[in-house]
This record gives sequence, structure tokens and C-alpha cells, in this order.
Amino acid sequence: MLEAQGIRKTYGGVVALAGVDFAVRPGTVQALVGENGAGKSTLVKVLVGAVTPDAGALRLDGAELRLTNTLGAIGKGIAVVSQELSLFPDLDVLSNMFPMREPRRGPWVLRRAMAERARPVLDELGLDVALDEPVEGLSLEQRQLLEIGRALVADPRVLILDEPTSALHASETERLHGVLRTLRQRDVAVVYVSHHLEDVLALCDEVTVMRDGRVVVPATAAGSLSVDRVVHHMLGEKAAAMVEEGAHSGAPVTRGSGPSLRLENVTVHGELDDVTLEVPAGVIVGVAGVAGSGYRTLLAAAAGATRLDAGRIVLPDGAELTGGQRGAITQGVALVSGDRRRFGVMLDKAVWENVGQVRSVALRRDGALVRAGRLRSRAEEHVGRLGIRTPSVDQEVGMLSGGNQQKVVFAKWLEAEPTVLLLDDPTRGIDIGAKAEIYTLLRALSEQGTVQVVASPDARELAAICDEVVVFYGGRICAQLRGEQLDAHTILEVMNTGVVPGGAAPPPRPVHGGAVRTHEPPGGAQ
Amino acid sequence: MHETIPPQESAPEGRSVPAGTSPRGGPGRARTAGRVLVRQDYLGVLVATVVLVLVIGAFDTRFFQFGQLMNILSQSSYIGILACGMAFLLAMRELDLSVGSVYALTALTCALLADQGLNPWVSGLLAIGVGGLLGLFNAVLIQFFGLPSIVATLATLAMYRGLALALSNGTQVLGPPIDDPFSTILGGSVWGVPTTGIVLIVVCAVLTVVLRSTPFGYRVRSIGSNPEAAQFSGIPVARVRMQAMVLSGALGGLAGVLTIGYFGSSDPNLGTGYELLAIAAAVIGGTSLRGGKASVVGAALGSILLGVVASGLAYFNVPINWNQFATGAVILAAVSLDSAVRRRRQGARAGNGVRL
Repeated sequence: MLEAQGIRKTYGGVVALAGVDFAVRPGTVQALVGENGAGKSTLVKVLVGAVTPDAGALRLDGAELRLTNTLGAIGKGIAVVSQELSLFPDLDVLSNMFPMREPRRGPWVLRRAMAERARPVLDELGLDVALDEPVEGLSLEQRQLLEIGRALVADPRVLILDEPTSALHASETERLHGVLRTLRQRDVAVVYVSHHLEDVLALCDEVTVMRDGRVVVPATAAGSLSVDRVVHHMLGEKAAAMVEEGAHSGAPVTRGSGPSLRLENVTVHGELDDVTLEVPAGVIVGVAGVAGSGYRTLLAAAAGATRLDAGRIVLPDGAELTGGQRGAITQGVALVSGDRRRFGVMLDKAVWENVGQVRSVALRRDGALVRAGRLRSRAEEHVGRLGIRTPSVDQEVGMLSGGNQQKVVFAKWLEAEPTVLLLDDPTRGIDIGAKAEIYTLLRALSEQGTVQVVASPDARELAAICDEVVVFYGGRICAQLRGEQLDAHTILEVMNTGVVPGGAAPPPRPVHGGAVRTHEPPGGAQ
Repeated sequence: MHETIPPQESAPEGRSVPAGTSPRGGPGRARTAGRVLVRQDYLGVLVATVVLVLVIGAFDTRFFQFGQLMNILSQSSYIGILACGMAFLLAMRELDLSVGSVYALTALTCALLADQGLNPWVSGLLAIGVGGLLGLFNAVLIQFFGLPSIVATLATLAMYRGLALALSNGTQVLGPPIDDPFSTILGGSVWGVPTTGIVLIVVCAVLTVVLRSTPFGYRVRSIGSNPEAAQFSGIPVARVRMQAMVLSGALGGLAGVLTIGYFGSSDPNLGTGYELLAIAAAVIGGTSLRGGKASVVGAALGSILLGVVASGLAYFNVPINWNQFATGAVILAAVSLDSAVRRRRQGARAGNGVRL
């Protein structure tokens, strides 16, 4: 069996793992669950040798195991099927099964020997594809199975499945059952990392819950747990406190009067199914769900980045959203992404150039010439207002910390004076102090009448900053939580089950139709 | 040029003049100018060019003759103009390999039209327009067939060259007569400065303003910095790319027209290999192949540096067959020097800057 004892890991002062003990036995499937940032991924990385712990030891069958890289782990029979699919799409199925360990004779790869070993494994998994089929022709689900097959063909003793269900859809749970049965029969020790608590309880033998870099529930029989209990353990005592000190305005969410962002019967095939939602100005509305539930598609649709198959989106000024992403931006929609390095900042450019990027450069609102001096002084105002810690506005953004980079992203969007502010995981990977400052900023903007939609994988964050949280399940809105129902626990549970706990009927759905249609010419809404 | 030379001269003065001997602000202003200069991306190429001119001149003072230097400027102008357009494309991580062929094809267009009896000036304007259209065609290929610019323009590099050969039957075509104002003005000079050189300077000045102070210039550099973030910020990436490709084509046309004015005829093999020299000039001038950064002045200076090397070799009695090798060596030296300077500067900045 594989054991981890007293594993500690810190990243520049941030404790990712604070002395974790963990063990998996052959022939059992052990679930590893916890919130984002609880330390699951770091623990997995330690187990496969991708991260060297600061303290603690790994043991394989009692003998100490020192891993310096992932290749070492593979050699010891520890395999991982990761969240990000890591197949080579241009190569065929067979070539993907043996990366770096093709059976060879001299310089030649023995395709026949490979096929003899690969076929039974794929059959066992129920993956019915030709071995010479290019991987790019496979469905996401088939690829996921292929990844598992690739791991199995090396005859691993320990197999870590990191979020396998993010690609395997709910209907495939039965298939996954079969896969796990196969693994148990082969006496493989399986670690199953997932956010889908329902799946976890249905599929796994034991559950380990992590919170804040520690194991709070060590390997407990899945039969003795419920989604409710697991969520409770994931959030811990401080969950309640967090919510109480949250920044709720307390204002009732009233709809039908005043400016609002309205989504009317919005459908995006395979992702959103006839969703109608109204987000009034002056309140912060959160959207939540598990991966693939559609909550992020909603954000993308409102930002003009996703084409609608049906329905329409109406902005606070009454105009319909048109013209794709650029059209949305010219109409006053801002999308602040937590993936700032990719979608947010220009790392090699000065703060002031980043701040002016939307208003003066993309939208050309300051006329035919960009005046650096004016951009600098406006950037200075933002630096002061948002508390961006930088020696000057001439500093390259790449030299700033993550939290300050994120504030630069906010500054550049605020420059454009948006009426709709969409936030996609806006505090990803930034420290707690900067988070708090951003929460305060969001509240202030909301009070100034900005429409705000926040998506976050962190239920606690949503509970703390939102006035209402709309939960998605299978492409539809399954609950709109507010008031007393609005806490991290309920959000997580509804995300996973699709129903509001306690059997209580969801709060009466606000009647969009009547209020909305009075503003519209007849037939305009449908 | 007028932009760069005064600060270059005043920088050392600023240090050598003892404090108090000059009127208030004198050395201060010089020092400010020096600081501004040191921050420019084209510092490396400027130093390299000046040093090279001084070295060659030290061996043979005839090299310092005004006429000789102006001759180099004139010869460098064509690649210089192409390099200015290339700097825009490189800054947004694109490339135009067809500029040499556009240059030949537009020169031919200008000559043919004038040969048909059209007013030479009108022919010239039309040829520049044709250059823009050729650039637009490149952009359309990139946009609608989803080709990378290097592939699309590799194809048009051959196509445009082929057109020039086909339309001219592979022979030279004479332009407007030598005594036509078109030829005397474009082939002439003002106070000893060749018109082609003046055009290069004007192009440089205009494009520097475009790059540094217009939304278009900022968009170009934004896209090169982080294409996805640019798209997310509402920058119309495809449109900006199209504009930059058209600019590059039109500049090719301008260079072609100047050639007709100066040499009086077009040759279908004109400008073969200029696309790579234009890229080299832009890179020597501090434009980054990684995108996000460009210097129009640097690109022009880069082409002048290449011109200095080409004519300097004659003074060293380098056998003609070694010319290419020497040009390559100089490109390598200039880029390495620039890279070293940049790294030192960056190191200094990292040392001063507080990482927050």
C-alpha cells in the first residue's frame, strides 16, 4: 500500500499541506474531497512526485519512497489520470497508449506487441475504438477512458483519478462503476479526486476529506456518510462565521423595476437549456454549479463570447446584446477573468498601458491620439483608489504580485465605465487581504448601480459576497438562494444534488414574465 | 534621423561640461535627453551604426564625405521603408514575407502605367494603391483560410514575384523619361539629401507617431503582448491585422515607386531577398520577434546599418564573394550587442524595482 506521513508543503509562506497523513490500500477506491485550495491537488502532486514536500515521507509497502520526478513514480507503479487531458490528439489510439515506453526491437517500435497488450485493457474498459483511430476523432468521454487505459496498460499498483467526472457526464456514471470494479479486481489502489459528491458516495469505498491543508476526516466508509455530512466537514466551523461577516447588503432582491441585465430563454446547445434570469442593478448575484452545469457558459454568453442558439440578452439600457465580445464591450459589458495572465494583463507593459487598454485603445474613446500623460494620471487615480501596490504607474505589470495584477485588471475595466460587470473567479490565486479589498470594491460598485454577476468555484466566497446565488444543474437554473438559505453549505449541496435540501420548496421564482413584458412591445420577449 | 542625432551628440556633452559653466538648464536638459535616449529600444543599433561609421572612416577618411554618407542613406531607404512596415507586423507577432515581391511588382506597375502614357505621379499613387491591395490579399488569405501569416505570405512571395516576371516578360521596363519631373524630383536631392532618404525620414516620423500615439499603434503592441487579453479587451484583432498588412503592402508600393523615380526602370528580380533583410533590419533595431515591442526608428537605423556594412566592405577590399558572409556576421554582432545591453538594463531594473 501507498502511505503518506506528515506531509508538509508551503509555497512562499502559504501553507498548502500542513502535515497530512494519507493511505490507500490495494483493491479499494478512496475518495479525496475538499474545497478548492484545501490541498487535494498538492497532495496528489506529492504522491506522483511532481512536487517535493518540505517534510514528511512516502512509503510504498513499508519501504520509504523518494520521488524526485513523475518518471520515478511511474517506475514504482504510481499512475495518475489528470484533470487536464494529456493525450496527443494527432496520434492514433495505440501510439497514445505507450508514451515513452513503447515495446521496441532496436530502433523499431513493435506495433503488434503494443496492440496485443492494449486491446484487452481497452475491452475491459468498454472503449470500443479502432487502435489506429486518431485521438482527435474521439469524444471527450472516450478520451478520458483512453487516459485510464493508458495508465492501466503500465499495470499500476496505485492509480490516481483526478477529477475524472469533469469530462465523464452524469449518464456515464454506470460506465465509471464498471471501470472502478475492474480496478478493484486488479487489486489496484485507487485514489479518486472529485467535486461531485454524489458520485463520490456512490462509487467509492472510503472517503477522506481535506480542509485548509489538513485531513479532517481520515478514510471513512462511504456508507456511513451523506452529502450533507461531507459538505459540513469540507467547510468546517468557520464556514458559518465567514457567512456572517459577509458583505451582504441585506437589501431584498427586487426585480422588475429599475435597470437590469435580462437573459430571456437563453439556450446554448449542450450547455444552457432555456435559461431566463434577471439581474438587477445594485445587488451582487452569484452563479454556481459543478463543472459543465452551465454557470460559466452563462457568463460567457452575457459577455458575448458564446453564440446563443436561442433566446436573447437585454442590457440595462434596454438594448439587446449584439456583435460578439467586442460588441458587448462597446455596449458597456466588462468580463473580469481570474485567469489574468491569459485574459487580463500584458505582463511586459507598464501599469498605465494596461489600464488604458480597453477605454483608450480598444474602444478609442479618447479620440484619435492616445495621450500617455493623461493615461498615466488616470492610472494613478486608479492605483490610489484600488490600493494597487506599485512603485509607480510605469512599473511593468509582470513585476507585481497576483493580487495587484488582478487590481490592474479591475482598473482597466473600470476605466471603460461598464454598466454590467461579469466576474469569473475574480479572486483566483490571490491572498486573503487582496480578496477582502476586492470584495469591498465590488460592494461599492454595486451600490453605484452596476449590474454584477459573480462566478466562483468557491462556495464560501459566493456566500460571503453575494445577495443571491443562482445555482445551475444540468444546464438549467435549479435554485435561487438568498436570505437564510444563502450559505456555503447549501450552495455546495444544491450544486451537487440539484435540489434544495430539507425538502423545502425553493423560494418562489420571481415572475420575470409579467414585469419584463410590460416594458416590451408585444411579442418582443419571445 | 533628425530625431536621433542631436541627443546622441548631447549625451556625452552633458557629462563632460562642468557644472555651472553653461546657462541654467543646459547640462540638465542634455542629461534628460541622454536619459530619454538610453531608454529607447534603438539605442543598440544607433551605437553600432555610429561606431561602425567611425571605424570605417578611421581607416579611410573618404568614407566621411557627405556625399558618401548620403549615398548610403539613399541605398538603404528601400529596405528601410519595408522594415518600418515589418516592425508593425513583428510587433503583433505577424510576418510579411511577400514585401520584396510587392516591391518588385509595384515598381513594375508604376513603370507600366507610366509607359501607357498615364501621368507618372498618378501611376505612382496607383502603384502604392496596388501595394495596399496586395497586402489586403495577404490579410484575406490569413483571415478566411486561417493560414499563419508566414505561410500565406510565403505563397504570395512566389505569386507576386511570378506576376512581376509574367507581366514584364522577364525583362526590364522603362519608367517615365529621365527629364520628367517625376524622375528629377524622386531621383534628386534637397540640399544634398536624396529624396529617397527624405521620404524614409518622413515615413519614420509619421509611423513613429502612429505606433506611439494612436490607438492603432497601441492595439498592434497590445496584440503582440498578449493576443488573448487583447481580444478579451475588445480589440478587433482581425481588423488590426488587416490594417497592418495593408500598411506593409502600401509601404512596399512606396518603395517600388521611389525605385522607378531613382533608377528609371523596373527589373522583375528587383528586391529579391529584401523580405529577410527587412526583418533583419527591424530586429537589429530592437523590435522583438516575441511581439509587443517595436521601434520604427530602430528599423530604419537597422537598414542603414546594413547599408553601412555593404558599402564599408568596399573600403576594406573585402572580396565581393565574402559580402554576404560579412553582412550575416554584422547582423549577428548587432543583435547580440543589443541583447546584451537589454539584459543588463533589465537586470538593473530588477535590482532597483521592488517585487511586490
